[in-house]
Amino acid sequence: MRKRHDIVIHAVLVGIVLLTMVPFVFVINNSLRTNAEIYHSFFGLPGSVESMVRFTWYRLAGQEDRIALRRAEPDGPAKGETRAADLPVEPVGYAEAMGRLWDDLTRGYRYAWKVLRSYMVNTLLVCVATALGVVAIGSISGYVFSRYRFPGSRALFVAVLSLMMIPGVLTLVPSFLLVKQLGLLNSYGVLILPYVAGGQVFAIFLFKGFFDGLPEELFESARLDGASHFALYWHIVLPLSKQVIAVVGVMTILGTWNNFLWPFITNADAAYHVVASGLYLMGQSPAAANLATMFAAYVLSSVPLLVLFVYATQPFMRGVTSGAFKA
Amino acid sequence: MVKVKHIVLVTILAVGAWALWPPQAGDDSSIRLGARRPHSEAGAARRKHHIRMAPGLYLPGTMPGNVGKPLTGLLDVAEKFEALYPDTYIEFVGTPAVREWLVTQLSAGLAPDILNVNVEDVWQDVHKGWYVALDEYLDRPSPFVKAGEPGSKQWWDVFKYEAITRGKAAPDGKSYCISYDMVETGIFYNKDIFEKLGLGPPKDWVEFLDIQARLRDAGYVPLLVPLWGVSDWGVDLVFDQLYYPILEGIDLVKDPVREPYLQGYLDWDEICFLYGKGFFTRRDPRWVELWRILKDWRRFWNKDLSTADMMRLFVTQKGAMFWSASWTVQQLARDPDIPFRWGVFYPPPIPASFSPYADGHDMCVIGGSAMQFVVTNTAISDTGDAATSDRLKRVMAFLQFLTLPENADRVVNEVLSMLPNVKGVEPHPELRPFDEFLKRPYTTTKWSYTFDMRFNEVLIRMMDLYLNGGIGDEEYLAWTERNLAFAVQTTARRKKVDFDALQRTWDALAPARRTMKGLPDGAK
Amino acid sequence: MARSRLQAVARNLGCYVLLSPTFILLAVFCFVPFVWAFTTSFYDYEIGGESAFVGLANYGEYLQDPTFWASFWNLLFLTVFSVVVGVVLPFGVAKLIFSLSSERARYVYRIIFLVPIVVPGVAVLMIWGGLVYGDNGLVNEVLRLAGLEGMTYGWLSDPNTVLWAVAFIGFPFASGINILIYYAGLAGIPESVHEAAELDGASGLRKFFAIDVPLVLSQVKLLVILTVIGVVQGFQGMFILTRGGPGFRSMVPGLWMYFNAFSFQRMGYACAIGVVLFLIILVLTVLNLRYFKSSEDVQAAA
Repeated sequence: MRKRHDIVIHAVLVGIVLLTMVPFVFVINNSLRTNAEIYHSFFGLPGSVESMVRFTWYRLAGQEDRIALRRAEPDGPAKGETRAADLPVEPVGYAEAMGRLWDDLTRGYRYAWKVLRSYMVNTLLVCVATALGVVAIGSISGYVFSRYRFPGSRALFVAVLSLMMIPGVLTLVPSFLLVKQLGLLNSYGVLILPYVAGGQVFAIFLFKGFFDGLPEELFESARLDGASHFALYWHIVLPLSKQVIAVVGVMTILGTWNNFLWPFITNADAAYHVVASGLYLMGQSPAAANLATMFAAYVLSSVPLLVLFVYATQPFMRGVTSGAFKA
Repeated sequence: MVKVKHIVLVTILAVGAWALWPPQAGDDSSIRLGARRPHSEAGAARRKHHIRMAPGLYLPGTMPGNVGKPLTGLLDVAEKFEALYPDTYIEFVGTPAVREWLVTQLSAGLAPDILNVNVEDVWQDVHKGWYVALDEYLDRPSPFVKAGEPGSKQWWDVFKYEAITRGKAAPDGKSYCISYDMVETGIFYNKDIFEKLGLGPPKDWVEFLDIQARLRDAGYVPLLVPLWGVSDWGVDLVFDQLYYPILEGIDLVKDPVREPYLQGYLDWDEICFLYGKGFFTRRDPRWVELWRILKDWRRFWNKDLSTADMMRLFVTQKGAMFWSASWTVQQLARDPDIPFRWGVFYPPPIPASFSPYADGHDMCVIGGSAMQFVVTNTAISDTGDAATSDRLKRVMAFLQFLTLPENADRVVNEVLSMLPNVKGVEPHPELRPFDEFLKRPYTTTKWSYTFDMRFNEVLIRMMDLYLNGGIGDEEYLAWTERNLAFAVQTTARRKKVDFDALQRTWDALAPARRTMKGLPDGAK
Repeated sequence: MARSRLQAVARNLGCYVLLSPTFILLAVFCFVPFVWAFTTSFYDYEIGGESAFVGLANYGEYLQDPTFWASFWNLLFLTVFSVVVGVVLPFGVAKLIFSLSSERARYVYRIIFLVPIVVPGVAVLMIWGGLVYGDNGLVNEVLRLAGLEGMTYGWLSDPNTVLWAVAFIGFPFASGINILIYYAGLAGIPESVHEAAELDGASGLRKFFAIDVPLVLSQVKLLVILTVIGVVQGFQGMFILTRGGPGFRSMVPGLWMYFNAFSFQRMGYACAIGVVLFLIILVLTVLNLRYFKSSEDVQAAA
């Protein structure tokens, strides 16, 4: 009975998973095709792969003379009749054929990477710096609010929390005017500081909640041993907060990675764009019609988060399951 | 204890570091939607003037039309220039097409020194000091030109399409842009399909609609056209067909600088005034007719006006005609899988038999300058004053250098899209039909470039809704009226339109209007 | 009294110093813009131009704005839709996962449903806009394959379908941390409650509605308010895909605010719109806090 019950649930869940994956499967498939191929038909496996398999078969069957490709585009600017459709299909050697097919296969990724590489560097820098900043400031402030009593601590904490209520939409325009006045436009500062300012509120909330739950005895014994405040923080509190740090870190990185509007309006120089705004720019530029490149760009932009995901999911899930999220 | 997980992590980090490492000097493979030339990078830091240019279509490292090889033309030209001026380094950057971005950067003084932007956008913000007027350079000789060659007396003389180039002067009389090349629209058609059905390029509008009906019956999408194309070209072309016959009576401002070239162009002040007289409202029969013609034409277009990929439909022969511009030639000529022959024709005139307000004169030119290079306030950021700025001198020198025939040839003809605007430089043979189209008279007005962005946004949205049957004729006309009223109000306030002067000219033109028909009541 | 206060402050100076980065950042990047939003909304300020005090004129103008009714109607639709699919569907999926018997299967599924969040939001939007909804995109091509050419639409450019199309992005809405949050809530229900219900003879669906739903209410409350805040102020999807859609069919107030600020250069007016949105969020949050019982209350009442 239990088994049958399980199978039905499995079927439903697998169905949902497949539905979710459908667009991404097409993205990955189309990123390996050439532009002309995608134009002519939406469905279809990458022609380069097909040709590679076919040519290898010819080679193995000893029919190397059947390996042929259309003549390549002339180099440099050409005048006169340059219709590519009129170029002849001529025999080529196996090695050269495989080389050119591999070129076709990876062209989308190579061009996408050329554009994305510097965006990726920027984004990593910004995300890591923001995550470090948020975790550092959030944990310190959360610790101070949680374990120390001083005049106004409650009021200040409420003040911090209430600022969590301010929606981004309200402050978008004034924030832009502010950073313009501060001269921060076109720099890493404008990308990091406002995020840290905003993200720390949630972090403080989570950290304080966690620290509140730590038993007093832990600190008592350490204080009796003469530990300084800093030692308390560094040696006792931090190691215990791995889960909360994971949650805060992952959410900050996710949020920063995905934030598109702010980097877009505050940065003129392509040097400072991040992946999110860079993808949008690519979509608006003439490069957008190059579908293979765009799809490859989407795939490439997901890779770093995928790596993060593989290593951070466990502590993250534990942190969420431990009940950090309650209203 | 070293786990598999850790080994994998280290491998990933190593691969990541390798992938993210900046490319070495000599390897020109980095495109930041704009490529920095690595072999000059070492020397770049030592150079005094770092000039940034957003060259639009010619951005090095990109592949226009996504066929062919990445562009390198501008890199070569910049290198030659830097050899002449060792204190200058030129960097090419890409910019998004979105106006919001432009506004934020310009207001912060952070835009590139040389920018490619439609000069009509510039006219809107000219009073904010964001742009530098180029007249004093244009009126003087170009220093790179040898004696006797075009340009040795005045820089103006290097330009091939004189009318259009001079006509780009702003209503304040100053020129803010250099038209580097020309683009023109055209209706691409599938010759094989046409031949199969026994059709040929139409001579007038009636025949044009007939051709489209026959194509539709044969199962093709007769005409592929994007919404932004219709709202820009479609509106202006039909407007010119309907209002040119009465231009004599409504052309109130004859600007001596531009008039010889623009032949009666209506600017915002004239339109503001005319609106007050009832033009461009429900009471204006020609205005109502304009939208009727467009709505009638819409049935032959693709169902989806915004997100459809017209190029793909044309290339896969689902659509028989494609209203695009000369930049499409690049992709059509270089696509290795196009199985059909194609040609180009221009929209045919509307005869009097089709509309009582048209007179069948040839459709006007709707294209014109493609890359319009303007100089922003960043170019004078070293001293803040155009008269004393060294940086500006370099910027202008580079622009003058770019307009030398050999350089224009190198840059513009690397792509199969635009026609060079420099004398002595021939366009690609495939682009010759567009050269012919460019010889037509200039358009009466350009609605998308007359008022501010709010006007455009509302206009294009409402047109979208209207053409898709979302609202009816009455409601649509009411919308355009309200939209125009708001724009007129804002413009009159911001630009301080002198209605009295216009009224005087209006009265003076009354005799010309007496014999005209199709005017709103009370406008005679 | 005052002196001991001062002494307390002095003693705890260290605390204040440690807290200063937080407050400096908050003051500069949160508080100042917050105040400026209100003050700017009373001016007619054009970037690079003059600014004039106009009092409540911006607000009055917004009420008459051509996009006003359209955008709020769209907002209402999107909010309701997002709350329903963003709150209800993940709960269903979480419950399904939770009721699997194998611990390993539960763990694997939770991870699988988390994977789609590695794709950046912008990429997801562009993928849906181009690949799925395009004229030669997934939906239309599948329809053509099935012989239903007549049902193909310009999903994002047809006034009748655009709002639904935008709302459906992310179908089947089963990825993200919502599932995890619900799962945590379900896992937090003590076993004793389940046993007590079973002893009372409840089973299956009845047990689900009587036990699981009420005790997960605090998570529901949190997610509802987060979703609503997200939808009311969000306009990224519209910006990238439709820019407000045919006519104003997919316009939302946030997007109109953006246009007014950065395209039409009317900063004061844009701030007024922002303030209106803020007030709406404020009201909704207060309502949520007051009227939604949290699961602690339910447990206490039980």
